[in-house]
Parts: sequence; structure tokens; C-alpha cells
Amino acid sequence: MRKTSKLLLAAGLALASSTAFADDEKIVIGGALSMTGIQAPLDTPGYNGAQVAVKFLNDNGGVLGKQVEFINIDGKSDPVTVGNVAVELIDKGAQVIVAPCDFDFGSPASREAQSADIVGISTCASDPLYSSWSLGDKQFTLSMWNTTMGATAADFAVKEKGWKTAYVVTDQFIAYTKSLSKYFVEQFKADGGEILLEDTYTNGDNNFSAQLARLQALGKKPDVIFVSSYGQDIGMIIRALREVGYDAPVLGGDAYDDPAMHETLGEKFGNDVYFVTHTWMGPEAHPDMPKFIELYTAMHGKAPDTSFVSTGWDTIMLIAEAIKAAGSTDGAAVAKALEDGQFKLLTGELDYGTAEEGHVPNKAAAVIELKGGKPSFVGWRKPESLPKP
Amino acid sequence: MAFAIQFVIDVLSLGGAYALMALGLVIIYGILRLVNFAYGELIMVAGYTMYLSSGSSLPWLVMAVLAVGMAVLFGILTDYAAFRPVRAKSVTAVLITSFAFSNLLQNAALLFISPRPRNVPLPEIFSQTVSIGGAITPVRNLITIAASIVLLAAVAFLMRKTTLGIAMRAAATNFTMARMLGVPANLIISSAFALSGFLAGVVGILWIGRIGTVVPGIGLEPLLVAFIATVIGGMRSLPGAVVGGFLLALIDTTLNYTLSQDLLKFRDAFTFSLVILILLWRPEGLIKGPASGQRT
Repeated sequence: MRKTSKLLLAAGLALASSTAFADDEKIVIGGALSMTGIQAPLDTPGYNGAQVAVKFLNDNGGVLGKQVEFINIDGKSDPVTVGNVAVELIDKGAQVIVAPCDFDFGSPASREAQSADIVGISTCASDPLYSSWSLGDKQFTLSMWNTTMGATAADFAVKEKGWKTAYVVTDQFIAYTKSLSKYFVEQFKADGGEILLEDTYTNGDNNFSAQLARLQALGKKPDVIFVSSYGQDIGMIIRALREVGYDAPVLGGDAYDDPAMHETLGEKFGNDVYFVTHTWMGPEAHPDMPKFIELYTAMHGKAPDTSFVSTGWDTIMLIAEAIKAAGSTDGAAVAKALEDGQFKLLTGELDYGTAEEGHVPNKAAAVIELKGGKPSFVGWRKPESLPKP
Repeated sequence: MAFAIQFVIDVLSLGGAYALMALGLVIIYGILRLVNFAYGELIMVAGYTMYLSSGSSLPWLVMAVLAVGMAVLFGILTDYAAFRPVRAKSVTAVLITSFAFSNLLQNAALLFISPRPRNVPLPEIFSQTVSIGGAITPVRNLITIAASIVLLAAVAFLMRKTTLGIAMRAAATNFTMARMLGVPANLIISSAFALSGFLAGVVGILWIGRIGTVVPGIGLEPLLVAFIATVIGGMRSLPGAVVGGFLLALIDTTLNYTLSQDLLKFRDAFTFSLVILILLWRPEGLIKGPASGQRT
């Protein structure tokens, strides 16, 4: 009797393992990135970069001797769809989930990954809400948090440039735009700077005149202008400021990393603009960058049109390194490898905190300067202290 | 004084753009009693035409005319693709087809061009400023005001003095009667779509002139603005749309100037509360359209 039950158990286990690991010959990475909708401008580049990384891995013998398969199902910029897509991917045998580049859109995928006990990584969600505290002990984001982004900007302004007074504009659009300003202001004050005026903007208004009137009423010109906005509105705000004669340096976050905006500002308005972002598409940022650009161009037929493509490459390479270090695709082991490891990525050196520390991504940030509408790399920066998330 | 001038110019330039957007929407609604949800995409089409023609060495004005022309073409296409086949069947069907057409155009831009913003060429004058009574104003705001005055006058003339305009107004009042008197339905509706496309094209250039780039979703904000403005002004009245556009701009600008920082975060809530108040007071909108019979 006991023998038969053991036999049954063994058979059951064999059956279970054969369905869970339907294909033991490959490693399946599931992506819930949005190819359509409002999130598409940020997720599509990540997807394109990820494809290049998967091809590179497979051309070079795969991971743990297995081929890597990357299945992406369109999350359609809808949190509910993103969650459903993640469930579908896990059913299809995904062993790691790549989540969209934003907390609101990406977290549903991470939550599903967590409940299936596998690792989920967002390509570039930067709000500190994207932590193991809120999502679980196997969830990560590749991006630095806004604490790092805001603090880097503030340190750069006060400590490096000696800009002591700031005018801050906060777009009320999403968690990202609001928290970025918050951390900038905290760090700017901690560094001994003074905030002259904080103003509010509504995304999509395309009208900055009331804010300008308030700035003009102030009677003082700030040393630096920090604008935390999103999408096309950034270029519009910078133009509006420059047109009426505010030529103080403008500072911002990774939403500025948009070649179309740089071109729009052009020679006339695209000067003295600095922003903190994930990386710089040149060898100064990482020796492997030219190789990545070459591989990308070979695969997609054109050079990358934004640096966000490197977040996709990095996410896949990070997963591959962690799986190699863990020796398996087991969720807990991969998560541990991510916590323990130190990674030299295209988007900067990365060292995750433990699950108790929220998986805080200790990461360097790239500072870029815009001169005559052309971006140039200022360098990597890592703030010594960070505001509390 | 400079402050007052600044405020007036802001209201007029924003209001002018809003009024043109609203007018383009209400022209269709007046005749068909249907909101064209693909209206915002006509603005997108104008923007992408500018982007696509920026590689050529055409003068800017030619590109702008081309962009408006494409918006007109897509306006007429909206009629043929989304409205005409199901127009006589049910309101719901047309609602769905206009949504579908909007979605189709957006996703086509996303797939064939890019989900990332694309540059739109702008003439030098769009980034120059002038000083009026101490207020430094971008010239494009003055261009917007001038363009809206000219276009509003032209539309008023078209509607009042030309056969086409009178036929369109007749169709808006009582379509069945107008048809019985020999007004060709399809021609009138197509003309309305063409006019709507024309207004969308011009407004698109002025609107994108503030931004400098175009994305697939660029039409959403103008559609929303136009919709609210027409609801305030009266869904079926052409002067109502203009009044609604200027009033919405006045409300928005005033709130932008006067609300404190803590309240400014909730500006849209204030705007919509005011809109609700206006609608409670005047449920049909500020200006009542022509008394009318059935939808056609």
C-alpha cells in the first residue's frame, strides 16, 4: 500500500514537473510590455533592446547551456491587461517576468510574478513604490529610484555648479512627476539651497503663462529651474521659459531623454538644459555601448532613437547573469542572486539592497547636458546620501 | 497693466484655439447629432503630415497647406469609413465606428511611424516674441488670435451667405425637410466633414506650434476640450461652440492665475464643477441651437 502511494506520489511529481517545466531545453522570459497605448513610447524601446539581448545570448550559447526564449504579450497600457498577460505568460512557462516601465502599469505584472514565486523586473519604473516592500521579495526594478534621480539633480546643482536658488515646477500627471520633484526639493534644501517658488502644472495644458506670470511677480531670477514634467510638455515649458527671457539652467529627470524634444528645442532654446537619466548612448558611458548599438542596428535596421533601448538589453542581461549565478531559474535563488550580485550594466553599476531594504537599486545616474539642441555626456554621478523614500 | 494685457492675450489665444476646435466638432454634431470621436485624429493627421513632409525642401507654408489638406481628406474619409455605411442604422453603431476609426488611425501612426514623439517643422516666427505694453508675448499667440478671428468670420460668412452654408444650416435644423426641398444629403454631410477637417487642420498646426512634436495620442486633449466647450456652449449651436471655447479658456486661465498652489493641483475639479453649475443653470448649454426634429 505504502509502496503504491509512493509510486503514485512519484508519478504525480513527475507529471507536475513535466507540465511546469514543459520545455526543459530553454529558459522562458515573459514580457508584459505595452506595444500600444500611452505606455508604448517607453515600453517599445525596452522591448526592442530586450530582443537584441536575447539574440546575443542565444548566439553565444544561451544561459546555463539553454536557449533563451522571450515571449512578449502586449499589455496595452492597461494595468488590468498587464496583470492578465502576466498570468498567461506564467501559464506558458515563463520563469521570469519583465514588467512595464512604470509603477502604475508595471506593478500588476510584478504582483502576478510574486504570487507565482518567480522574479519580476520592471525595465525602468523609477518610483520608490517599485520595491520589495510593496510588491514582494522577488520583485525588482532595473531603474534607479526617483530618490537617486532627484538627489543627483540636487547635488549636481548645489555642490557641483553652485546654484543656490531654485524654481520648481511639478506636473501633477503621475506618481513619477510628483515624487521626482519631492526628492529634488528635499535634497536641494539638505544641501543648503533655497527654493524660491514651487509651482504646479497640469499635463496637456500646453499653456504655461500663469506660471510665468507668478515667476515674473517674484521679482527674483532663480539660479536653476527644476521642471518635473512628462512627455511633450517638457519641451513646451522650456520654450515658454526661454522665450520670455528666463535663461537660467533647466534641470530635470529621465523624461527629458527624448531626441525629438532636443531637436524641437534646437539651437535657439536647447541650451543650458541638464537632465539625470539612465545612460548615455556612447562609449563614455560603458565600453560595450558601441557594440550594443551595432547589434541593435543590425537587428532592427536602424540605430536606436532613444537611450531607453538599453534598459531592455540590461534587463535581459541582468536576468541572465542572475540565473547563471543562481544555477537555476528558481524564483528564490534568482532573487537571492540579484540581491547578492553587483552588476556593471549599460545603464550604470547596480547593487540591490536586501528585501528588508526594499530592493533599493543602488545605482549610478547619468547626467546629460543639452547644448544647441545636442546632448552631451557630463558623467556618471552617485549621490552620497539619499532622501528617505 | 502688463499683467492685464498678458491675461487678455492668454485668454484670447487659448480661447481662439478652443473655439476653433469646438466649432469643428459642432458642425458635424449639428447635422448628424453624433459626436465624431475621430475628430482628434484629424489634428494628429495634420501633425504627422508636417513631420513626414519635413524631409522635403518645401517651404513651410506649402507644408502647412498640405497638412490642412490631409486633415480635410481624412475628415471626408471619416464620413465614408465610419459614418456613411451605418448612418441610417443606429446611433450606437456610429458611435462605435467613430471610436474604431479613431483607434485605427492612432494605431496606424503607432505602427507605421513610431510611438515616440516626432518633430514638426515650425517657422522662425513661431518662436519669436514681441513686447506689448510691457508684456512679453510669443508671436504664435497673436497668430492664433488672428487666425481664429479670420476663420470664425469666414465660417460665419459661409454659413450665412453661401448656398452651401444655408443648406448646411437647413440640414441642421430639420434634415428630412431639407432633403425634401432638394438639399443633397450626402454632399452636405461630406462638406460638413471637410469643413470640420479644415478647422482641425488649422487648429492642429496652431496647437502643435505650441508643442513642437507630434505623438499618436495628440488628439485626445483637443477632442476633450472641444467636447467640453460644445457642451457648455450648446451642442447644436455654432455661436455656442465659439462662446463655449472662449468661456472654457477664460475659466481655465482665471483658475490658473488665481488658485493657490495647494488648490491648483485640483484645477480640473474646479473647472468641471463650474461646467456642472453652468449646465444646471442652462441644461441645453448657453446658446440654444435651432429647434429640431429627428436625427437622420
